[in-house]
Amino acid sequence: MFLRLVTDSFTRRPRRKLLTMAALALGMAVATAALSVSLDVGDRLAQEFRSLGANLLVTPEADSLPLEIGGVDYRPVNAGAYLPEADLGKLKIIFWRFNIIGFAPILEVPIQAWSPASKNWSSPGATDKVTLIGTWSQHSVPIPDGTTYVSGIEKTNPWWNVEGNWFTENSDECVVGTAFANKLGVKIGDTLNVNAGAQAGWRALKIVGLLSTSGPEDNSVVAALSITQNLAGKPGQYRRLYVSALTKPEDAFARKDPKTMTAAEFDKWYCTPYISAIALQISQELKGTDVRVIRRVAEGEGNILTRVRMLLWLVTFAALLAAALAVGASAAASVIERRTEIGLMKALGAGSGLVGVLLVAEQLLLAFVGGGIGYALGLILARLLGERIFGFAPEPKLFVLLIILVLAALITLLGSALPLRRASRYDPAPILRGE
Amino acid sequence: MPFTPMFWRIVRRLLTANYGRLFVILLALGAGAAVTAALLNLQIDAKRRLTTEFRALGANVVVAPQDTSNSDSNGTTLDEALLAQLPAENDGKHVPAVGFLYVIGEVSRAGTLHYEPAVIAGTRGQGLASVRPGRRTEFSAADESNSNACEVGAKAAEQFGVHAGDTLLLRNHDREASCKIYSIVASGGADDTQIFTHLGTAQALAGLPARISLIQLSVTGTPDSISRFVADLSRRVPGADVHGVKQFAEAEGRIYKRISGLLSSTVLLVLLLTSLCVMAGMSNVAIERRNDVGLMKAIGGSVRRVVRLFLAEAIILGIAGGVVGSAAGLLVSIWLGKAVFGVVAEPRWIVYPFSVALTILVSIASAFPLRRLASIRPASVFRGEG
Repeated sequence: MFLRLVTDSFTRRPRRKLLTMAALALGMAVATAALSVSLDVGDRLAQEFRSLGANLLVTPEADSLPLEIGGVDYRPVNAGAYLPEADLGKLKIIFWRFNIIGFAPILEVPIQAWSPASKNWSSPGATDKVTLIGTWSQHSVPIPDGTTYVSGIEKTNPWWNVEGNWFTENSDECVVGTAFANKLGVKIGDTLNVNAGAQAGWRALKIVGLLSTSGPEDNSVVAALSITQNLAGKPGQYRRLYVSALTKPEDAFARKDPKTMTAAEFDKWYCTPYISAIALQISQELKGTDVRVIRRVAEGEGNILTRVRMLLWLVTFAALLAAALAVGASAAASVIERRTEIGLMKALGAGSGLVGVLLVAEQLLLAFVGGGIGYALGLILARLLGERIFGFAPEPKLFVLLIILVLAALITLLGSALPLRRASRYDPAPILRGE
Repeated sequence: MPFTPMFWRIVRRLLTANYGRLFVILLALGAGAAVTAALLNLQIDAKRRLTTEFRALGANVVVAPQDTSNSDSNGTTLDEALLAQLPAENDGKHVPAVGFLYVIGEVSRAGTLHYEPAVIAGTRGQGLASVRPGRRTEFSAADESNSNACEVGAKAAEQFGVHAGDTLLLRNHDREASCKIYSIVASGGADDTQIFTHLGTAQALAGLPARISLIQLSVTGTPDSISRFVADLSRRVPGADVHGVKQFAEAEGRIYKRISGLLSSTVLLVLLLTSLCVMAGMSNVAIERRNDVGLMKAIGGSVRRVVRLFLAEAIILGIAGGVVGSAAGLLVSIWLGKAVFGVVAEPRWIVYPFSVALTILVSIASAFPLRRLASIRPASVFRGEG
């Protein structure tokens, strides 16, 4: 009988139930979409911020002061300390190895360069002084666990635009900064002769691309690290390493000095991808290095990420609130309109408790069906939203469904609680008289 | 005679007949309006605030000499007078600009005779901390206003073993100077290895009076507004090369687009669905008005007049819910702005009429199912048939 009452109320007046359900489904769709996007978007945005480039800089610990102006080191080759390139695979065995999304070593050498193709070239003596930057384009790094990892300057300095191609590793190719190329009057396909003054002598490099960075690199030549090491007479060595890591924005805890932490605190800090923790892990693996956080990048990223996340949660919360109120209003209305029915039931001898249970069962059924439909609808919305903005679809998470169903049940019950309480106190006689 | 006193009396009765229902409707409409107003205001404010937040990245525009063929450290320079020609504002926001002159000189701590080469950067202009963000690890305010004060990068300070309050000796060939350290700054970049002096000190060391190597500016604004600023400045200083710092300018543009796209579409979606929710909820309330309509028709009310009655009711409800809800939403968004960005969000007054209008629209649209009431047969309503 109980079940029949419930099914009857659904089948006899489908339109009203449909409207309540529609409000519920729409509300829950907003909630699902907002929740799914908020849960997923933090990681996506963090990835996006990596277009700012490297956030960690590794230099030799015992070193003379770099004479670096606008990104170019003016120290002679023989001054200062170097680091071994062979160690770099160790970066991918630190605790947060999967958060390291790219690294590239740099070795700069002052060289002389001339090109037979140059329109300005008159005699072999008229060579140009320029900086040769040695780095990786697509380098396979052997990792101590036996695998290899491909990394290069494009990952750490994504704003370096190359017209043409990057040089390929292990071949006599180079990329020339646009300003230097203009000055020299060379283009892609020409040959550039370079000499670092070491015993290596002259070496002919084929120009395969033009580099524009709007920085000092526009006035330089970029070639494979191995070629540069060879020219400089520094095999297997580099001077600077850029690392790009995905990090958690620093909070008050991260700013504490690790030296003053208790053992438990230190463990927690070490096992959180704070930039300072990753820096410590790198310096533990690469001996004799000084790992510094590039503050402007790390802090800019941290600030903005924290704020955007908060903002998104706020929007989600607002969406939930609006959905809850609308759904609640709809649930309340659906109880109010059934006064006559309630009156009749009571007149026929149903107690207040039974009437309440019946109505609650109805509302719950409505909540689950509406919530389920809303969840499906919300997933589609989240997909559309995610694909339009980030080119990704947030993965459907089961616990979002759980939250949505619980929320839907809670809201409908809360919405109908007040009218239900009043309904249970109804005196059947005046209602049936139509008053 | 559509709007007789009788008309208004009926409307008043319609509104006050059932306080429970009135409360539910106003709550739904008001909540919708509040969310609309709060989100719209927050969104407008957040986008603007975001551009300010990006300035944590430091300088994003550089004015450099046009001819960079001579890539020596003491190569081509700019006239110091250029600093005075820079616009002080962009989009109403102050633009910090600092002129730099770089000299590769030799530096030693006072008392030792051990000189080491280092980059000395002379700076002039307000906002060194804005164009070159970093953390000050040591600071002595007393020495800051000295005429020979200098700031030292963390790595350089470590190398020379100096602290705030110490004195450094600087020399370049036969030219000598000294400076008193007021601050040690850690930025993680090349700045960590440099020594920042007053511009005059560096110019004297370099023997380049009234010359600077480059100017760094930290321009606040949307990516479009920054490009306009760069183009405008290029025209204004023909002898120099003005360009955005690609590393930050490009990423900034991309991230700004993503975030503002995300905010706009989330807010739009939320608004749309909120309206639909409110509408669906309201329609439910409207349907139960069958009895009222039946009675009106029974005593001779034409369908047009009945619909007009309900529209008037909807508009009144919409205005009431919208006016109160939107005001509440604006207030909430001001407070939320403080929670998110640490600065209260300025209320945008355009948001208010917009959200009130939207609420009225939603309210009218919710009364739409009433159109179907035209087909109601009074007799069947009174018989109590569904």
